[in-house]
Amino acid sequence: MIQKKVCMLGSFSVGKTSLVRRFVDSIFDDKYHTTIGVKVDKKVVTTSGQDVTLVLWDIHGEDVYQKMRMSYLRGMSGYLLVADGTRRQTLDDALSLNERVVQEFGKLPSLLLLNKYDLTDQWEIDSAQESKLTAAGWNVLHTSAKTGDSVEKVFLQLAQEALGR
Amino acid sequence: MAASSIFESFFASQGFALFEFVGDEAFRLIGNWPPWCQSAWGDIPGDTEHLRLGEVSPFLENFLFDAEEFWNSNASGSANSGNWSERDSAGREIPLEASAYLLDGKRLLIVRNLSETFAQQQELFQIARDSLLVHEKLLREIQKKEILLHCIVHDLTQPLSAMNGVFHLLEREHLPAQLKKYVKAGERESQRQELMIRGILEAFSSDLAAQNSSPEKTGESPDLAECAQRAVHDFSTAFRDHDVRLRFDSRVNKSADWRVAGDAARLDRIFGNLLENAMRYSPRGTTVTVGVEDQRGFVLAFVDDQGPGLPKNQAETQLFALFSKGKSQAGKAGLGLYFCKITVERWGGAIGAETRTQGGSRFWFRLPRSEKTAPGAELVESKKSASREKRREKQKPAKRLRVLVADDAELNRDLVVELLERRGHIAIGVADGRQAVAELEKHDFDVLLIDEEMPNMTGLQATQAIRKREAGTALHQVIIGISGHAMEEDEQRFREAGMDALLPKPVHMQKLYEVVESTAARAGKKPQPRAADATPEVLITSPAASSASVSNSIPRPSGDVIGHLHRSTGGNEKLMRSLVAILLADAPKTLAQIGRAIAQNNAAELGAASHLLKGSLAIFGAAKAVESARSLETMGKTANLREAPLEFRTLETEFALLRTALLPLISKPKSSKPPRPNAKRTLKPPVKRRGR
Repeated sequence: MIQKKVCMLGSFSVGKTSLVRRFVDSIFDDKYHTTIGVKVDKKVVTTSGQDVTLVLWDIHGEDVYQKMRMSYLRGMSGYLLVADGTRRQTLDDALSLNERVVQEFGKLPSLLLLNKYDLTDQWEIDSAQESKLTAAGWNVLHTSAKTGDSVEKVFLQLAQEALGR
Repeated sequence: MAASSIFESFFASQGFALFEFVGDEAFRLIGNWPPWCQSAWGDIPGDTEHLRLGEVSPFLENFLFDAEEFWNSNASGSANSGNWSERDSAGREIPLEASAYLLDGKRLLIVRNLSETFAQQQELFQIARDSLLVHEKLLREIQKKEILLHCIVHDLTQPLSAMNGVFHLLEREHLPAQLKKYVKAGERESQRQELMIRGILEAFSSDLAAQNSSPEKTGESPDLAECAQRAVHDFSTAFRDHDVRLRFDSRVNKSADWRVAGDAARLDRIFGNLLENAMRYSPRGTTVTVGVEDQRGFVLAFVDDQGPGLPKNQAETQLFALFSKGKSQAGKAGLGLYFCKITVERWGGAIGAETRTQGGSRFWFRLPRSEKTAPGAELVESKKSASREKRREKQKPAKRLRVLVADDAELNRDLVVELLERRGHIAIGVADGRQAVAELEKHDFDVLLIDEEMPNMTGLQATQAIRKREAGTALHQVIIGISGHAMEEDEQRFREAGMDALLPKPVHMQKLYEVVESTAARAGKKPQPRAADATPEVLITSPAASSASVSNSIPRPSGDVIGHLHRSTGGNEKLMRSLVAILLADAPKTLAQIGRAIAQNNAAELGAASHLLKGSLAIFGAAKAVESARSLETMGKTANLREAPLEFRTLETEFALLRTALLPLISKPKSSKPPRPNAKRTLKPPVKRRGR
């Protein structure tokens, strides 16, 4: 069966692990559990009539305590760049991280997820900013690991894009 | 071999899995297949002499690239994989770490189960990151609260400021003693109420108290260079983590006097905000430079980065704009830079940002040197400078001139008339071009100072009418245009209309004297009568023509309003008070008029009212407010009011900021005699007519 390595990238506490948990196990824990290092999971999906094993690399968020090793991304077929829509800074951090990734690995299938979309009252990223991101070529999607909104969709979409390469 | 067995037993007891790399992505298992390997990866994958670990663990498969590189390098030490987790069949996470060693030519791989120590490590990271999140949240809450309180202070003090202005005006009238007593009582009570409002709000926020504290109150004179160096020191670790070099500009003379108006704690925070901003936008491997520069009476601090520069389509004002429900586009939450702005401006300084010609951006702010100014202290600022200005003001000109001043903006007109009279000239004010032409028919004036844009008849139309009347005669009225448009093409326009000179707006005392007297003197030297069709030897004074006028004519940021007013009035305290009182009493009415005009979709009234307000605001160098009034004026003139409500809100905000900056001037206990009653605001009796 075809395997595709997919990485979850973004700042700490943006919900990368929660998205994977929601996708793989259909569960959500409201409490924040920080990730140390990398968590590797697998899930088989069917896209375009083809079974694909997604090998999900949930990589810890960067902060002053932990820096991400670019070597973790070796061989990836695509990535989900995750930002927390209620913390604007995490979007800046994600975009900055993306620049490093593109510099090292070139352009790969990727989606920009503005996560925690269940907390719209605390939302800090306005539509003008999103329009700019879209104009810059980003495929921007709102997700919520809590409600499950768009979670399955983004993994399937990325799998499809990765398969199309 | 015995020793080897001991090691194998030791590794096994510690839960380590030990492998020797045999090439072709295969490993030999040394010792046992530990139980956790069984849980994570199941049964031994094939032959223990040729294990393909990459097939059971994608993470190990990835790490083998790094391990092989290490083994091939013959380096000492080890290559470490970092932590990763695998899930066992029950879904439990097993924390692991792999290391590659080269021992006696053998390429070894040790995979450790970290379960025993991982929980502790996890807890530490959890606490640290939870703290970071709490810290982030608190910062945002504090910033939001500060902004909210700042706005409340503005809103609550707004009517009081107007009341104070009205009381001040009333005080200048010839009132009966009893009424004067009531006015005094009213003024005192409104000032007391203002203090109470501030006091209550300050009790809720120590930060706001610091925000509102003027350097005068704190008695501090922090050294800006020291603050900058401290910031560089404090942020160096964070920058290092981002692989960005942070340095203090080595060209700065550290032994020089860099003391400014302000307080050290707030300055630290301003530097902090600017540095955080620089760090966020600085690419790895670049340098951020912090330094200070002398700027005649001010000290300028700057943070230069080598990032992408300012966004091309983003106005500088947007960068420092007020946070709006967390949806600002600029900065972390759009609050940091706004905070810097309101703080710096409160201290009588200014702040800005620009893309540097050599690349990257410069964020700067400047503050008055400590011995010069502080909000509320501007009236006593620079005794030396004020007395110098006064001496200049009192120097009598070679000739006493009769000057007609035509300007529809009452405040501007009063200012110019007042300044000319103080100089010893005779000045009369009229409100538009038509009145000016009529006045010139009745009386002789050496100079007509005329505003460009006025209702009924503009300055250019009036000039053309005057020149037409002079045609075929020996007469030549000296006409000086006053305009906020003072570029070369404007100069040409004024010249073509028949003007002799151009005085840039906002008007500054020294420039006013210089232009009026020199233009009149040149005209006086010219042979009379002069042929009407001869090319006039005109003196067009524009900013482009003199460096001094360049610096004077560039609108200052609203933070510098008091310095600007000081320059406009030559430091005349009474005049400054009077102008501020008039502005604070009149401008709200004009603002209301603009608001009404927008609501009623009355383009003509919008244009006229905005034009009037623009003129008044220009005296104070309130660049952003002037710009906003100008936009509204254009919208009125072009009858396009679509964006007017939004622009009106900007104008209101800018005026509120201006009012706050000016308030100390009229609320401060008077340091000298009260203003002269009945200061000129309207037409004076006509001058004695000279025979024609």
